[in-house]
Amino acid sequence: MPTNPQSQLPNPELLLFAARRHFFQQCRVGLGAMALGSLLTEEGAHAAMPSPSVADDPLAPRPGHHPPKAKSVIFLFMAGGPSQLELFDPKPRLQELSGEVIPESFVASKRFAFIKKDAKLLGSVRKFAQHGESGQTISECLPHLAQVADEICTLRAMKTDVFNHGPAKFFMNTGSPLFGRPSMGAWVTYGIGSQSRDLPGFVVLQSGPRGPRGGGPNWGSGFLPTTYQGVPLRNKGAPILNLDNPEGIAAADQQRFIGAVNDFNRLRFAETGDGEIATRIAAYEMAFRMQSSAPELMDLSGESAETLALYGCEPGKPSFAMNCLLARRLVERGVRFVQLYHTDWDHHGNKGTELGESLDKICHETDQGAAALVLDLKRRGLLKDTLVIWGGEFGRTPQGEPRDMIGRDHHIESFTMWLAGGGVKPGLALGKTDDIGYYGVEDVVHVHDLHATVLHLLGLDHLKLTFRFQGRDFRLTDVHGHVVHKLLA
Amino acid sequence: MYFFRPALGAIFFAGLDFLAIAAEPAEVDYLRDIKPIFAAHCTACHGPKKQENGLRLDAAQGIFAGGDNGPAIMAGKSAKSLLIEAIRGTSEVVSQMPPKGNPLSTEQIALLARWIDAGPKAPNEALAQSAQSSHWSFQPVVRPPLPLVKDPAWPRGAIDAFILAALEKQKLVPSPEAERPTLIRRVSLDLVGLPPAPEEVAAFAGDQSPDAYERLIDRLLASPHYGERWGRHWLDMARYADSNGYTRDFGRQIWKYREWVIDAINRGQPFDQFTIDQIAGDMLPQPTQEQLVATGFHRNTLINEEGGTDQEQFRIEAVADRVNTTGSVWLGLTLGCARCHTHKYDPITQTEYYQFFALLNNCDEPQIEVPSKLQVARGDLERREQVRAEIKRLEAEQERLRPELEAKQQAWEAEVTPQERARLPGPVQVAYDMKFADRDAKQKKLIEDYYKGTEAARQAFPLLQQIFQLREQEPKIATTMILRERAKPRETFVHKRGDFLDPGAKVTGGVLAVMPSIDHADEGMVSRLDFARWLVAADNPLTPRVAMNRDWQKFFGRGLVETEDDFGTQGSKPSHPELLDWLAREFIHRGWDVKTMHRQIVCSNTYRQSSEVRSDLAAADPQNKLLGRQARLRLDAEIVRDVALAIGGLLTETIGGPSVFPPQPEGVFDFTQDPKPWKAATGGDRYRRGMYTHFWRSSPYPMLLTFDAPGGNVTCTRRLRSNTPLQSLTLANDQAFFECAQALAIRAIDHSADDANRAEYAFRLCLAREPTSAERELLSRLVADETKATSGEPAAAWTRICRVLLNLDETITRE
Repeated sequence: MPTNPQSQLPNPELLLFAARRHFFQQCRVGLGAMALGSLLTEEGAHAAMPSPSVADDPLAPRPGHHPPKAKSVIFLFMAGGPSQLELFDPKPRLQELSGEVIPESFVASKRFAFIKKDAKLLGSVRKFAQHGESGQTISECLPHLAQVADEICTLRAMKTDVFNHGPAKFFMNTGSPLFGRPSMGAWVTYGIGSQSRDLPGFVVLQSGPRGPRGGGPNWGSGFLPTTYQGVPLRNKGAPILNLDNPEGIAAADQQRFIGAVNDFNRLRFAETGDGEIATRIAAYEMAFRMQSSAPELMDLSGESAETLALYGCEPGKPSFAMNCLLARRLVERGVRFVQLYHTDWDHHGNKGTELGESLDKICHETDQGAAALVLDLKRRGLLKDTLVIWGGEFGRTPQGEPRDMIGRDHHIESFTMWLAGGGVKPGLALGKTDDIGYYGVEDVVHVHDLHATVLHLLGLDHLKLTFRFQGRDFRLTDVHGHVVHKLLA
Repeated sequence: MYFFRPALGAIFFAGLDFLAIAAEPAEVDYLRDIKPIFAAHCTACHGPKKQENGLRLDAAQGIFAGGDNGPAIMAGKSAKSLLIEAIRGTSEVVSQMPPKGNPLSTEQIALLARWIDAGPKAPNEALAQSAQSSHWSFQPVVRPPLPLVKDPAWPRGAIDAFILAALEKQKLVPSPEAERPTLIRRVSLDLVGLPPAPEEVAAFAGDQSPDAYERLIDRLLASPHYGERWGRHWLDMARYADSNGYTRDFGRQIWKYREWVIDAINRGQPFDQFTIDQIAGDMLPQPTQEQLVATGFHRNTLINEEGGTDQEQFRIEAVADRVNTTGSVWLGLTLGCARCHTHKYDPITQTEYYQFFALLNNCDEPQIEVPSKLQVARGDLERREQVRAEIKRLEAEQERLRPELEAKQQAWEAEVTPQERARLPGPVQVAYDMKFADRDAKQKKLIEDYYKGTEAARQAFPLLQQIFQLREQEPKIATTMILRERAKPRETFVHKRGDFLDPGAKVTGGVLAVMPSIDHADEGMVSRLDFARWLVAADNPLTPRVAMNRDWQKFFGRGLVETEDDFGTQGSKPSHPELLDWLAREFIHRGWDVKTMHRQIVCSNTYRQSSEVRSDLAAADPQNKLLGRQARLRLDAEIVRDVALAIGGLLTETIGGPSVFPPQPEGVFDFTQDPKPWKAATGGDRYRRGMYTHFWRSSPYPMLLTFDAPGGNVTCTRRLRSNTPLQSLTLANDQAFFECAQALAIRAIDHSADDANRAEYAFRLCLAREPTSAERELLSRLVADETKATSGEPAAAWTRICRVLLNLDETITRE
């Protein structure tokens, strides 16, 4: 580090102060201060100065509206729409009526993606059993999940609004079927920041044959600052884009580089007094930390053979199971919101998308990892602070789809998701569907309600977490959503 | 630091504007504090549609008038007011209000009580819902008189007079003019988005003539890069992108629209014509090709190509987006709020929303071919027809050889290796996997066409080789997406609660009752063209204010109205209302000439001020709303790239043309449904300006996204400026920026044999100014460190030095 011009550099305290003052002065409208303004004025009890300061880091952790139950979220997004009728929701009546045209009363004013209103009902060939002390009903497709039945809370009458994949994925992630609204992970990190000082606050992982439909906007920040968008973590090459130094630049060179950049920046800060420069200095320091912490995160050599076997993953072979293990490592390191996408659950009934072998295959790919994640979090004492969410953008119809093989169309009226940990009642089976599994008839949980509940568990009030855009205070739950108190532990 | 803690704490509790920290609790404001409470809890039953017990609470007049149970409020006596009793549930006359839903919070009740106790007041405009609004932005734009200032020597014109008068009121003085290198860099970045060359800086710094600055401005405004810079601003609002969005996000061709925008701005097309061409160019008499291309503005909406979608649903979404975008861009109104219900705060009814909808609901959405002037002149179209006719003739001839072809094709299929099979396009592969006889007609053609293009087939059949060569020679004509009005208009209905499956009353085109009326030629029918003309009619109070405010925002970082997309009652009030009106009036007076207005703004002393933070201003005006100094602004995403390329001497300055594919990091498409084609350019297209980078909506070029470029999904009238570690990683490590560092290193080395000269040259290329003595010391330390670390290998050492300079905050900031 150069020493000579040191006398002209402002001291770190002054820098911090300037950055903080700058944050509140310049960012009153639009940036994180909106969250602070609304969060911290509501509840006097939580109005303490957040530390470390949001000033030099908009991702700094900060209190929400009420004490949280969960500190982090891991959302296992089963892209394509898993069939609840094959996995969770056995329907003897549907079995009996299999092959008959669905009664018109069910479908009078409905729209479907592919099937017609005279589609025939389709019973499931899968065997179901009750598991654990709680007696959760789970099919033979998910034997590992059955073993953690008492840890999970199943939502058996979920409901959504849109029946095409892209819009439905946006709806599950952003509360709107349109492209480009802020995602749940963005809202959460905007609201309460992240505990991690050297990894992004919102991380996205991907497995399966291809990426999820819709791509980036599923984890985008929409009109929130880009700071809050999900950062994809890659399984091959550098885990974060541009994480590796350019060729020929060693770690020591990079350290010198960051030092030199920040020396110049400190001088300019002293000259102009612009707090934005202090923020940039902090950003370069965090970038440098990220360069060592991200590879450390991906390095599984410290994991025991037993742990690897529990998840069923092999180092060097990207898989959903490995992503589950990485998810645990991420929340261990304080990352606020982790989302795993696994494709493709879209079982319409063509070769490769039928409810026979294809369903077996994807269950096999995901079942062990998801169950292991719950177990592993639990034995490490992390489950109580970590909310695990499993589910897709919608479910599948009780009607079969007339394609080459057995399959079902997209269904929005009822489907199953499960939650675990993070203040959720373990072993609870919430919600019932009608005899043929068409509509939810008891404890229906709409996607907006799920969003309200997730925010609630994180200490956020979905009515108060707002951002003003185009003249309106937007929320994750739009103008809807109720916290599902029945599932709170 | 301790001194400031209580003050900071106060911000948290107050939750009000920073300026108000030390003030007493603010006076309760009807529009800000009271009306929203009624709107949220009461007006569903006590509003325009229903008046339970004869009470209306949506307008202040109704509140003052009371209902069937008598007066709702008693001035000065909140405790005795029926309204408060009802809300508290203490009334003997009525049950607790609201009967359903969330009760009012204690804070809300306290606000209502304070409002009543203070002697309830509401502005005249809030008294009644009527066709008149006294809200400032709906009032006619009148040229205000120039204010008197104490220091008449400072203002160069009207702009400065308004700014100075407001500063003087607060006993503040403006900042001195920025140093010349800073000034030329600032105005170059603002007008053309490129940094000045060191020679230009030197020439300007040394130019003692009184009009040196004005001549600089004229040169920049005449530069074709001006159209690129301001065209990109416009493309933000047009939500331009090169793909369809939603699920599949396939590519689209609409770059001719981008080219049109750049060209229209460069040739100084007046803003009213610019507007009419884009909203309704297709409806003008004998529209030119350019006018058709211009209607691409509203074709930048998304298209959902997912299987099993209800196409009408997504067409409706696109039309709604056109309404919302038009509302934001021209009127500064949040029309979208009225899609599901009458606007809660502004005079926009749901019916009026669907009147706008009807105006934009009557077009087809075709694609047209757009040959360039050169292509027309050299007869490409005719030549293409000839080539196509010849291909057709040869194909007929080839058809006679069908038995031989089928035999050869089957022989070929038998020889396809598994590797070759894997490379077949998806649908061809499906057909290939089936038995010849089992394929349907479409599949047969698919695989036959594929086979005909293979080298094996072309060797076996000379005719196929001829056809192949002709196809290569066929002139390629660009296409673009446009609007075309339908002969028979669609019917438009109000969508109840915004649901298009639940149609309400039928509506026809029209505009807001509070706005000036719309002229229309055709008796009874208002057309999209009438609407376009109405948007830029001389008596439209919103369009010129909104447009000028947005341009002001680009030059100062903040609009005179901070909520540039909301000029309604919930938006912020103008900081300098007279100045805004002066600009709006002048804009119309100058024939909607944007360049003239830009010249006036950048020539003002207000614009030329230094951006350095001053302690007196920081205390009195922390957000710099009064503009006692200029602002330091991080460059827009594309400009961050352009500046690095220009500094490295790499920039390819070609204007317009199709989108390009600069190198991007590996793995960007792992997270999308379909991998996107992205073959990094190797020639000049590798170094084009950021605005030409192909933009996939589902997976934008990472650098652009990281630096806050909008996603192109909805209109963007203001970009956020974030400051994140991912930005640092991009500038530090991204290949594109590393190449700029390498190129800058070569420039520095070529410049001089002396290290100090090299360092200073590179520094000036980046920042336009000379280093200070402290910076010189840092530079020499840096040169020494890196020379040592690289064992004196100059290219390596200077690449590292230049990499530091390209990463400076100031390099990506306009001061």
